[in-house]
Amino acid sequence: MTAYIIRRLLMTIPVMGLVAVFVFFLLHLSPGDPAAIMAGDNASPESIVEIRHKLGLDEPLWRQLVVWLANLASGDLGRSMFWGDPVTTLIAQRAEPTISLALTTILFAVTVAVCLGVVAAANVGRVVDRFVMGLAVAGFSVPVFVVGYLLIFLFSIELRWLPVQGYTPIAEGILPWLHNLILPTLALGLAYVALIARITRTTMLDVLAEDYIRTANAKGVARAPMLLRHALKNAAVPIVTVVGIGVALLIGGVVITETVFNIPGIGRLVVDAIARRDYPIIQGVIMIFSGIYVLVNLLVDLSYTFLDPRIRY
Amino acid sequence: MKITRRTAIQTGLAASAILAAPSIVRGQARPSAARTIRAVMHGDIPTYDPIWTTANMAGYHGGMVYDTLFGIDGNQQPQPQMVGRHGVSDDKLTYTFELRDGLKWHDGSAVTTADILPSLKRWAARDGGGQHLMERVKDLAAKDEKTFSITLREPYGLVLDVLAKTNMPMCFMMRKKEAETDPMQKIDQVVGSGPFTLNLNETKPGTQYVYDRNPNYVPRAEAASGIAGGKIAKVDRVIMMNMPDAQTAVAALQAGEIDFYEVPPTDLLPQLESDRNIKIEVLNGLGNVGQVRLNYLHPPFDNVKARQAMLYLVKQSDVLKATFGDSKYVKQVSSYFGMGTPMENDANIDWFKGGQNIAKARELFKEAGYDGRPIVIMQATNIAVMSNTSLVIAQAMRQAGLNVQVEAMDWSNVVQRRASKAPPNQGGWNIFITWSGGAAIGNPILLSAHAATGDKAWFGWPSDAKHEELRNKWALAPTLDARKAVARELQANAWNFVPQLYYGQWVQPAAMRRNLRGVIPVAEIVPWWNAEKV
Repeated sequence: MTAYIIRRLLMTIPVMGLVAVFVFFLLHLSPGDPAAIMAGDNASPESIVEIRHKLGLDEPLWRQLVVWLANLASGDLGRSMFWGDPVTTLIAQRAEPTISLALTTILFAVTVAVCLGVVAAANVGRVVDRFVMGLAVAGFSVPVFVVGYLLIFLFSIELRWLPVQGYTPIAEGILPWLHNLILPTLALGLAYVALIARITRTTMLDVLAEDYIRTANAKGVARAPMLLRHALKNAAVPIVTVVGIGVALLIGGVVITETVFNIPGIGRLVVDAIARRDYPIIQGVIMIFSGIYVLVNLLVDLSYTFLDPRIRY
Repeated sequence: MKITRRTAIQTGLAASAILAAPSIVRGQARPSAARTIRAVMHGDIPTYDPIWTTANMAGYHGGMVYDTLFGIDGNQQPQPQMVGRHGVSDDKLTYTFELRDGLKWHDGSAVTTADILPSLKRWAARDGGGQHLMERVKDLAAKDEKTFSITLREPYGLVLDVLAKTNMPMCFMMRKKEAETDPMQKIDQVVGSGPFTLNLNETKPGTQYVYDRNPNYVPRAEAASGIAGGKIAKVDRVIMMNMPDAQTAVAALQAGEIDFYEVPPTDLLPQLESDRNIKIEVLNGLGNVGQVRLNYLHPPFDNVKARQAMLYLVKQSDVLKATFGDSKYVKQVSSYFGMGTPMENDANIDWFKGGQNIAKARELFKEAGYDGRPIVIMQATNIAVMSNTSLVIAQAMRQAGLNVQVEAMDWSNVVQRRASKAPPNQGGWNIFITWSGGAAIGNPILLSAHAATGDKAWFGWPSDAKHEELRNKWALAPTLDARKAVARELQANAWNFVPQLYYGQWVQPAAMRRNLRGVIPVAEIVPWWNAEKV
């Protein structure tokens, strides 16, 4: 097991290296000039050239790549072209809202989706099942920002129960923290709920058709323990896999959700950086998100050994 | 140890209290909501150095933290601000200024001429108007800690106007330490002498910028007017927020989470107007003037006939309708200096009186020898007014039989590509759409887009010796009436050689909560002194 973990962690190095080179070229070969944006609309061509020189953007592309990779290897993500602050500092300043939103969303989505999936599977073909599946289709089809606006209209403008936007750090109290996170969590979590609920239902239906479930039924095991203790536990591996894959969906959703709800997280940071072509920030955030995705997948793989004792690495 | 439900609840409550404690302490340190203005502005502050960039938001920041020697008042006249007594010699060559009493930097040190002179030099190195002034300056000298003089080579009627102007970069004064920074480098500390200080602990770059009242600021005695007069901070804190989603900003305003929204989209104005807690005000009466920049370096617009043809092609009412609908906030522009500015006039506007004339445009393009080569319009798709204008103009050009190629890209790509002098089929361009503030359009010197100095001019690189001669004549004109007379000559000439053309003028109404009072109407920036919540 330890050898497997070490092997997987070592494999992340070439993966991250490829991501780094790909991201670098993707950004630097696409049009847009940070120097021109920094200088302002009425700046003279000469001052734009001067700024480009100060930023090192007039260096050959290969040299810029080598410098960046060398810094990356030593853990330095560079400095923001606009603010001059280290990218790691800027990301650290914005990490709490994003981590909070991601965690509350996963918690909300997994809890609600697994319950809905189990209920739907237990009532397959009935009204409850159709309702849950209809909800899942709707949840997957409606974009995050539309859900966000609808929630804002209902809960913030009409009912005045929850704030429209913003974020309160957890250090200022759990209740204010939650107060700001409820709507973004609901908006972002809906698609995630849909995805997990559908896979839970399908997997549960497969498991419920197994012989040992029929035997348990015949022996008179109560419905709830049978569903939760026997069926759900055996359906866990595909569900956990989808939760892991869904992290990519979550990362994309976080960027939109943070914009709609004006949450000062990493998503907003990268959106603003893209608009300004602040290359070090964009590159740094993509590297970190890629690293998170790789690690989550590793954790998902490792979790299989706990969920299914037959799996060994 | 056995954990009961009661101990679990008690532990949870204790943990919540511990977690909530910092917020209680912080809450006591923060100004109350009634003494705090939360304002969503049109964008993000790209840098804390308002001299280094021409970006407007940097100027908004500058207006809070820094002060100026002079300021334009509500009647567009320069008035002393940091300066107390001042005068000019009889030969109009030496201006003498004395700093008023009580001026202090945020670090507590006194403002002296040792700060002022390098500030003027650094600003002039970055600003077109400043350069125009400095070309005529023979000497800049300090007489003592409070008195300094500007000696000119020739009389120059714009000295005070240039020092007082509101278009970017404004002439902000900085400490000697920052003022001696290379003009091409950004300053690294924000220490001004203005009515507010930047609170870096509470500021979150990219999302919110927190400004606290400067208790040591000594305002002038006069009433606030424009960016002149007494800059009295009537609230303890102003938070300038960057909220990119317009729908969210409108909802936040309606819910009372913010007090001010600078640029509500036109289509959301009816929603705001119907809310009795919200009022709509136009703060910048001169608004913006939309510009169509033509590339002088390549056919067809290297030929004056083709440029004149564009005057007959662009139907401003169509362009404005495409973006603003039937808005009461727009008008068509016939004057080269915009509508409502002091320099507005009606010289040589027959092209405008006759309205769109496609047949005439076709004839002029023929005289220009247009050979059917593609005319490249750069369309900034992420900015509605630019995007829509590009399409409407392209359609009018196609009606005149021109081969138009609209190339879609985002604004930052336009900004990059417009610097290219290459032919349009090799990465260059023929037309791009932009806009400038009405106040700036009304000044032939201060707006870099007005220069017609060829290679040294703004993007499009127009060239016309007579235009330049007239700009200089305007700058030297001794009185307002004399300037107006030169402005007529400038316009008559401009509508002949067509350095650029306009697609309309619009004002941007701002939306605010009804209890927000005293926001001063100024062109180019939104000042927060004088504003209060009642």
